[in-house]
Amino acid sequence: MAAMLDYDRLTEDEKLEHFMERINRGEKIEADDWMPDDYRISLIRLISMHGISEIMGALPEKEWVPKAPSLHRKLAIMAKVQDEMGHGQLLLRVAEDLMAPLGKNREDIMQDLFSGKLKFHNVFHMSAPTWGDAGMIAWLVDGAAIISQSMMLDSSYGPYARALKRICAEEVFHAQHGESIILAMAEGTPEQRDMLQDSLNRWWTSLIMFFGPKSAKETGNSNADKNIMYKIRAKTNEELRQEFFTKYIPRIWSLGLTIPDETIRFDEQTQMWIYKDVDWNEFKQIVTGNGPESHNRLDLRRRSYDNNAWVRDALAAKRAI
Amino acid sequence: MSEAKNEFYNVYEVFSKKTDKSPFQHQFSLLAPNADMALIMAKENFFRREQVADIWVVKRENIRGLSQSEREMLKRLDKDYRETKGYGYLKKKWREYNQEQFTEQHILGGKGDAQ
Repeated sequence: MAAMLDYDRLTEDEKLEHFMERINRGEKIEADDWMPDDYRISLIRLISMHGISEIMGALPEKEWVPKAPSLHRKLAIMAKVQDEMGHGQLLLRVAEDLMAPLGKNREDIMQDLFSGKLKFHNVFHMSAPTWGDAGMIAWLVDGAAIISQSMMLDSSYGPYARALKRICAEEVFHAQHGESIILAMAEGTPEQRDMLQDSLNRWWTSLIMFFGPKSAKETGNSNADKNIMYKIRAKTNEELRQEFFTKYIPRIWSLGLTIPDETIRFDEQTQMWIYKDVDWNEFKQIVTGNGPESHNRLDLRRRSYDNNAWVRDALAAKRAI
Repeated sequence: MSEAKNEFYNVYEVFSKKTDKSPFQHQFSLLAPNADMALIMAKENFFRREQVADIWVVKRENIRGLSQSEREMLKRLDKDYRETKGYGYLKKKWREYNQEQFTEQHILGGKGDAQ
């Protein structure tokens, strides 16, 4: 009992010191552990955005379920859409436990999404007009997501790390599903190859943006440094983007596709990819709800939430009896 | 809806066993308005691919877990005297008497091969 009393008697400063020691030793922080407000807020910001991006991310792919070119493709993309919603469920759960002491719950997350307060990934504000886009999303957008998620598998926050472990296991299927689509198109007719090239042209800027700006000076705010300090994440935005280039550019070239950036090359001296930077002001416009599909997708999400309210009401009524 | 928002969902913890022979393991948590919906959600969320032989859903409020201070205390417990590693010195001792220390198998086995 003495030790228990010892911990409860610690001052806030001592608890903070103990907390940082645990993080630096590689221990995992759990939902009901003491944590500084700053850590809690950073986690809520990161994980609620990640969770809601999974939910919104299912929408551009869902558009392709009825239009997929064969039964096999339809089943596979349907399974992927289902996975994305499942990932959203896991991540929102992690965010909700962090928000509970602040008196917030899932309803607040949904309302924050509808009001535009809660943002989602830039890529899910974009349109996916052809089957090539469905392939490009699964191959490169998911490819980019795998790189940023797997760098957090050892995150200091235990519940997030465990959710990511489940998610990454399924991402392997998503990556292969994407490869299967783009390889079929790359080996197809000239029209199919053109369609694939068009998709790459459409998605390239969004893919660069996906990892976020290099530093705070591009958009005036970056939480990456703080998250690295707390060992929530291990790498900077630019490190992740460079990893993405190294992993995927050779593959893109091997299929005879052209990257829509004539300046892109690997610099042997610095061991870095040199590329044309994007307009971070445009990025800011997109993620604040002014992307080509922002309005439609949010509207769809809102309508589906409202249309299904009767189901929640019916279940709530049954419980009250 | 807005008035019911705080009472509608409960947090359920999900446990499952992979095969008949395996023990139950904690999987994750989910939100559901009742236990039946929790089971449906558990299947949807966690067993789309994974093999599963049985599933439990338990309302989190019915679980008495350890607080942080209780967990901190666990780290301080010294339980060597309850484990074989607390008796490692015996091997050397028995050697002094020209005897080999019994292994766990010898102690439990009774195969008569421990001379």
